[in-house]
Amino acid sequence: MLFLPSWPTDYLRRRDPGLKAPLALYERIKGGLRIGAVDAEATRRGIRQGQNLADARALVPELTTLEMDRPLLEAGFADFADWHSNASPMVAVLQDACAFGDLVLDITGVEHLFGGEAAMLRTLLTRLRALDYTVAGAVAPTIGAAWAFSHFARSQVVESAALAERLEDLPVAALRLAESQVATLAQMGLTTIGAVRQRSRKALQARLGQSLLVRLDQAYGQVVERMTPRLPQVDYHAERRFADPIGLLDDVLAAAQDLAIQLCLRLEGAGLGAQSFHLFLYRVDHKVMTFSVNSARVTRDPSHVAALFSHRAERLAGEYDAGFGIDMVRLAASSLDAAPASQVGAFAEDDGRIDIDQLNDRMSSRLGPLAVLRMQMIESHLPERAARLVPAQAMAQEAGTHGPALNRPLRLLPEPEPVRISAEVPDGLPALMIWRGSRYRLVRAAGPERLGAEWWRSGARLELVQPRPPEPGERPVPPPYQPNLPLHDQAMLTRDYYRVEDETGRRFWVFRHGLYGGPDLPVWYLHGLFQ
Amino acid sequence: MQTPNQQQRLAALRDVIADIERKPALAETRQRVAADADGFPLLPGGLLQEIYTDEPRNAGASLGFALAQAKGLMTKQRVAVLYLQLARDTKGTGMPYGPGLVSFGFDPSAMVFIRPANMGDLLWAAEEAIACRAVAAVVADIVRPHKNLDFTASRRLGLRAAQSGGSMFFLRYGAQRPASAAQLRWHLMPSASAAKPYDDHAPGAPRWQVRLERGSIRKEQAQWVLEWTKHGLADIASQSPEQSLFGAALSRAVPAQLADRLSQTA
Repeated sequence: MLFLPSWPTDYLRRRDPGLKAPLALYERIKGGLRIGAVDAEATRRGIRQGQNLADARALVPELTTLEMDRPLLEAGFADFADWHSNASPMVAVLQDACAFGDLVLDITGVEHLFGGEAAMLRTLLTRLRALDYTVAGAVAPTIGAAWAFSHFARSQVVESAALAERLEDLPVAALRLAESQVATLAQMGLTTIGAVRQRSRKALQARLGQSLLVRLDQAYGQVVERMTPRLPQVDYHAERRFADPIGLLDDVLAAAQDLAIQLCLRLEGAGLGAQSFHLFLYRVDHKVMTFSVNSARVTRDPSHVAALFSHRAERLAGEYDAGFGIDMVRLAASSLDAAPASQVGAFAEDDGRIDIDQLNDRMSSRLGPLAVLRMQMIESHLPERAARLVPAQAMAQEAGTHGPALNRPLRLLPEPEPVRISAEVPDGLPALMIWRGSRYRLVRAAGPERLGAEWWRSGARLELVQPRPPEPGERPVPPPYQPNLPLHDQAMLTRDYYRVEDETGRRFWVFRHGLYGGPDLPVWYLHGLFQ
Repeated sequence: MQTPNQQQRLAALRDVIADIERKPALAETRQRVAADADGFPLLPGGLLQEIYTDEPRNAGASLGFALAQAKGLMTKQRVAVLYLQLARDTKGTGMPYGPGLVSFGFDPSAMVFIRPANMGDLLWAAEEAIACRAVAAVVADIVRPHKNLDFTASRRLGLRAAQSGGSMFFLRYGAQRPASAAQLRWHLMPSASAAKPYDDHAPGAPRWQVRLERGSIRKEQAQWVLEWTKHGLADIASQSPEQSLFGAALSRAVPAQLADRLSQTA
């Protein structure tokens, strides 16, 4: 557990070193301006969190005050927390007391990398203190106890054997209690945890509620307290630390290639492959950059993974900023699946589809997954619904099953373009067309092929659900999903499609929306170009 | 005025230049085509071809001609055809359409669509794709000329294509012919379609008129009228009248026409 009591002010001072020493951040709480965070100097001079801003200014006239920007601070602390995953993969922000300031690291099984628990704690504390952060820390068997020691005692390592005894002397506030509970306990004359422990649990529960007992049990380890790690857990990762921070992208890619070989060897040993690979770059100034690449097939081919990252690097566009350097690179694999070893070489079948999938991976990582597409056929008779483009990585190549071979154009326009058509008789074949300002004399035509609307897909029912108007000051609720369909309209239900050819041999697909004889004249559109 | 001696030297120099330029792909093509029977030959892979048509409204026809050739290049190892177009150009020409590909005789699941945002990415994708040994053909639809797509870029793609054995097709529009290193340059015009049996008014099998503007694949022929049939490209002009579809003997009984018309075959 790391406790950073004046993290907001330390963080702002690192961003802007010109801020003067007694610094306090205020925010608007219940209509009044109150102090939200203070630095060490201001604390020493008697300024407390929750104080009125005017009182604080009266107390210390030279106080520097800034308005608190909570979203900025929370995002900054999240980055700060992610960066600590270079010490342990499981890092969580504890938000019981405050949205920022408490960091929980599960160091089970990693402390030996730093030379023991005490050495690890010292490393973590000194590297933060070197950056002018006020920090206290504690290593303890439970989250509750670590919180108590880091807030109310010196930085130390508490062994589980000594836990109960050492907790006795701490004040009751170390149990993460509400202020009212602390006040009640003080009225009862209970100031230390040891004193609380001697009272009967039933009486305590009746007077102070279940939460006190839960906190007590959490501190002593009788109830397991779970933490929510900020970064997803990965089973397979490889990492590399640098004595000197690196900054060049080429160096990062070389490191990624190196790690890909290590990681893929481990995956091979386990008979696994992965579809997603994530590269975490830990900057020295407490930020983590993440780049991910995906593969359509389960893979553990290090050269393929390294190639995907180098293609991904072409598309960075300002995402990559090494800052003062990167001192650790981690490559993690997710979406694991079994990939049994297969014989390649003399007896392997040369399957081009694997090559195509790898090509798609490379192109997706450079151009973006939405630029590399395949066509998915859908069972619908509406031309614009019958096929849609999906990312190639989401759809492996397979021999599609097609419906009946209909006479359809080779190219379909993204949206039908209105044209003017004249025919000899209203329901006759089209004879003259004006499209994009040119006239076409249509000498041949075939049709009509009548297509009706899909009545089972009417959007009317969904559109009846109107969202409730938002209260003043409340964030408006986005409306429920409404497909962009016209309402059920009897006159606009049918399209009559014609294949037409003009005198020079251009072949078009046009349709008439609506019927003759209704109140509105039907409209003609051009929808596709034949070969 | 050139003396015969000079002419000989010129011819020899031209041969040397041809050797330097190394267009083995085209020379090989010519040999193969010469061995073929008459009709439109199936061109082998490894060529860079440009298909020009006058206006984007003919885009369907030029795509059809490119896909007709690409379909012949697909094998068990070469399983895919890539279609490249800038994302912003789709509105003018439309995208290849799955059911349309099916009715054309092309499996839509064998096609990968690449829609990059700029020409640099498009050329990169074309080069990456044509170098892949599982790609039968790359069809790049270039609606507007672009300064990045110059002679150097096309030469580069042509060399890649010759190396890998896949074919590269550029679909281009307009009357201008920017410099390029394409081995074959076609000028394509749609042509009135074949007659549809039993329906005189309906458009039948599509026909295109293609003219070879650069390169040659067969001596003394640079113009074809092609028809796309179930069995591939058919050369209409070279067919003798008896063989053509108009007078082809039907292998089944002709049904009686409607009573109010004279039977057309009687």
